[in-house]
Amino acid sequence: MTKTFNSESAFPKLAQAELGNAQLRANLARATTTIREKRLRVVKELPDWEELRSAGAAIKDYVLDHLDELATELESNVTRRGGVVHWARTGEEANEIVVELVKATSASSVVKVKSMVTQEIGLNAALEHEGIAAYETDLAELIVQLGDDLPSHILVPAIHKNRSEIRDIFIEEMGRSGLAAPAGLTDDPAQLAAAARAHLRDRFLSATVGISGANFLIADSGGLVVVESEGNGRMCLTLPQTLISVVGVEKIVPNWESLGVFLQLLPRSSTGERMNPYTSIFSGVTPGDGPQQFHLVLLDNGRTSALADPEGREVLRCIRCSACLNVCPVYERTGGHAYGNTYPGPIGAVLVPQLRKGNRSALENSLPYASSLCGACYEACPVKIDIPRILVKLRTDVVDAQRVEHPNNPELLSMKAVDAMFSSPRRFQGLVRFGGLLARVVRRTKVRHLPPPLSAWTSGRDAPLPPAESFRAWFAATHPSASTPSAAPTSKPPATSRAESTTTAPPALREDDARDAMIESLGSPHHGVHDGTPPTGSFSFRRVGELSSDERVAQFTERLVEYRASVVEATKDGVADHVRSFLARQGSTSVIAARDVPPSWLADTASVVAFDDPPLSVAQLDDLDATVSGCAVAISETGTIVLDAGTHQGRRIISLIPDHLIVVVEEPQIVELVPEAVARLDASATQTWISGPSATSDIELERIEGVHGPRVLDVIIVRAS
Amino acid sequence: MKVALFLTCVNDGLFPATGRAVVEVLESLGHEVDFPTEQTCCGQLHLNAGYQREGLHVAQQFRRVFEPYEFVVSPSASCVGTVRESYRNAARTMGDPRLEADVEELAGRVYEFSEFLTDVLHVTDVGARFPHRVAYHPTCHSLRTLGLKEGPKDLLRAVKDLELVDFKGSDQCCGFGGMFALKNAATSVAIGVDKVTSVEDAGAEVLCALDNSCLTHVGGVASHERLPLRTMHLAEILAARE
Ligand code: SF4
Repeated sequence: MTKTFNSESAFPKLAQAELGNAQLRANLARATTTIREKRLRVVKELPDWEELRSAGAAIKDYVLDHLDELATELESNVTRRGGVVHWARTGEEANEIVVELVKATSASSVVKVKSMVTQEIGLNAALEHEGIAAYETDLAELIVQLGDDLPSHILVPAIHKNRSEIRDIFIEEMGRSGLAAPAGLTDDPAQLAAAARAHLRDRFLSATVGISGANFLIADSGGLVVVESEGNGRMCLTLPQTLISVVGVEKIVPNWESLGVFLQLLPRSSTGERMNPYTSIFSGVTPGDGPQQFHLVLLDNGRTSALADPEGREVLRCIRCSACLNVCPVYERTGGHAYGNTYPGPIGAVLVPQLRKGNRSALENSLPYASSLCGACYEACPVKIDIPRILVKLRTDVVDAQRVEHPNNPELLSMKAVDAMFSSPRRFQGLVRFGGLLARVVRRTKVRHLPPPLSAWTSGRDAPLPPAESFRAWFAATHPSASTPSAAPTSKPPATSRAESTTTAPPALREDDARDAMIESLGSPHHGVHDGTPPTGSFSFRRVGELSSDERVAQFTERLVEYRASVVEATKDGVADHVRSFLARQGSTSVIAARDVPPSWLADTASVVAFDDPPLSVAQLDDLDATVSGCAVAISETGTIVLDAGTHQGRRIISLIPDHLIVVVEEPQIVELVPEAVARLDASATQTWISGPSATSDIELERIEGVHGPRVLDVIIVRAS
Repeated sequence: MKVALFLTCVNDGLFPATGRAVVEVLESLGHEVDFPTEQTCCGQLHLNAGYQREGLHVAQQFRRVFEPYEFVVSPSASCVGTVRESYRNAARTMGDPRLEADVEELAGRVYEFSEFLTDVLHVTDVGARFPHRVAYHPTCHSLRTLGLKEGPKDLLRAVKDLELVDFKGSDQCCGFGGMFALKNAATSVAIGVDKVTSVEDAGAEVLCALDNSCLTHVGGVASHERLPLRTMHLAEILAARE
């Protein structure tokens, strides 16, 4: 049975338990330090990073101002492309919808792409309740699931486990639910990744239902964007006949151009890579390619009430990159479990109380205080969410509720007493004098134990005592004429009143009214400065590169080599020679290609060549060693190759299943920057963005090449002259 | 130039030496310091803990006292940060645009001490001598709220015979965080222990910062751990003539 967060305890209590775990502390310190350094390196190399952040924030704000329109635009585009859109106001509604959809296929199991939102709503437990097994396929999620553990990080849910703990889990648990771990498995991350590949391979190849989330929903094309590393996402999005994507409604972006911003912000902020290995983009159903049944479940679950809060709605900009976790001093010490829910770290501390407005359990009341307000999260956030400001706002909400519910609670009373002290110069000066008096009596400079509640201070810190001579006394003695009370006339403080709360609970409605109710709540009551035009075109980030074609080829090559791909340059007539030698190097004796690849690419190869015409079955594809494919566009700055199922490429599946991928890139296809690639691509095309071989950073945040997608990537650049 | 000193409640109650140092440095540079005795606190404790009403109440006291001055200087980055940012945010939360405009105007006249030296007076060498190994901890409010990066270090580098030592993770929070230090004492101390360990590893004798509140926490941790590390406000080093 899947474990779920069910915490009623407050953060300090949960943190206390985690802080005592030395292994956890060491694992977290190592992992967060690694990822922080990686992120800084790749962020620094973009001269327009700050402009990109501003653009990301502004696009998301535009979305929040127009969610009703954008959600219906998305709905009509997904529907037009053969998908079905469902609306779920709550987690329960979403779970019910998914369970019914899975039951209708009569599948007894599903394969899942890592998704925060399905954890948020407890989908796995809901499926298991109906006898449907939900298999997590992301390496870190697999570790968590096999270890009957809870995720502790947005991006790397098993960040709290080190390699040897992971090995132990694999050895003990893999055999219970499928293929056992190989004998003699060591804690070498590459071996661990290989064990996961083997364990999940058959599960992928035989899956009939896939379940995913999405990083972005593109309103004007109906596209879903799924960003990942290992290829497990591609497997789940491509192999099953039915795909169900559950996505928070705030994941919408207005248009295709937006990806030029977000596909730069997200990978650099999350894994600290210039680009993640795989990004899948599709809308609705692509005939003959991938799932032929597609369902999109749009989830509210508290998002519209967060939206209605003008000061806190900014949390809905979040793209779940986890940069704020990695830089957070609190998260680094306590880990994710202390946050008691799916969303840990700084974003969790603001998002959870916002999604569960009105819910005042000990956990929700404590989360806004689980921060030293150091501001590192705000500085790192790619969409500029001012987390410290929102934390303070949420603390105000907690205190204001206390004023009504527990007007005599000791904290409130002491804070009022301190206020009385601090807003009266006379009383304050009395306090300072009292301190001096105390010092003369005690005659020490520090204390090791204080009474409660200040004992919390001395639990790990000595406390200073006031000095015998105060500054005031010294200043008065040395500057007899300079001490002025205040030259200002006393003015009455202007009356301040708390603005009326604008949050209203949605009325209870029947199930089939969910769509209309959601759209109505998405019509923001707080329209900001934006009019009806998405701001995408108006930003100053780099849209056009400056490198010459030679320089682009050189940069592209360098990036690919960093990803451990092999790269060669060829003339138009020399492609076949390189294909042959790559196949020979890997011992690949059979190869697949789309029917339209130029015959010259495969001339004189000793390998058996299959064309995907008529389409091969998954099992047939799995018997083949290599794939040869052309591409649509390549990006030199990120070492990315984009396939769009167009000329010389074929179906998505053929570049996924064989373990060895050879891509032929024509020099004019190489652009320098992500936005240039976005501009060249057709928003409605089914796309796979490939940056190096499949890889994972799930074990101690170290990149290891080769998981579910092809483990070997070879690239042939056909020079123009 | 005539400047008003906003000492802050923490310094007023516990660290008079910092106030004296500020006065000495400014006077040695030929400026006149005024100390409005009715000053109390900036309201940070309340404002950060969610007590906006009380915090703004204290803030009004601050405003009343410092309204008449063109230059207000304070040896605390977090208090200056409070005046610059939290007042505005709180006024917004309370839905009070008039107050928002008032505090915005005031904020422009309030300076952190080192910032005043480097950015207003354009001074880096104040004639100090301090022959010790000093680590500078950029507190979160100095680094991220006020954006003070090189200024304080330039001031330290200009101090005669002072050796400025770098340490690992210097830009990470020390774990103080006001109420956080009490409400999440265990986590706060854990962060503090890592901070003092890293400073010790770098071989510093003195840890210096722009906030005595953070230094109370870090120094308290060091003392609890029986480490010999000394903590000093930057102003005191700049006033040193050892
Ligand atoms: S709040 Fe910002 S930094 Fe944190 S996960 Fe969301 S987008 Fe990333």
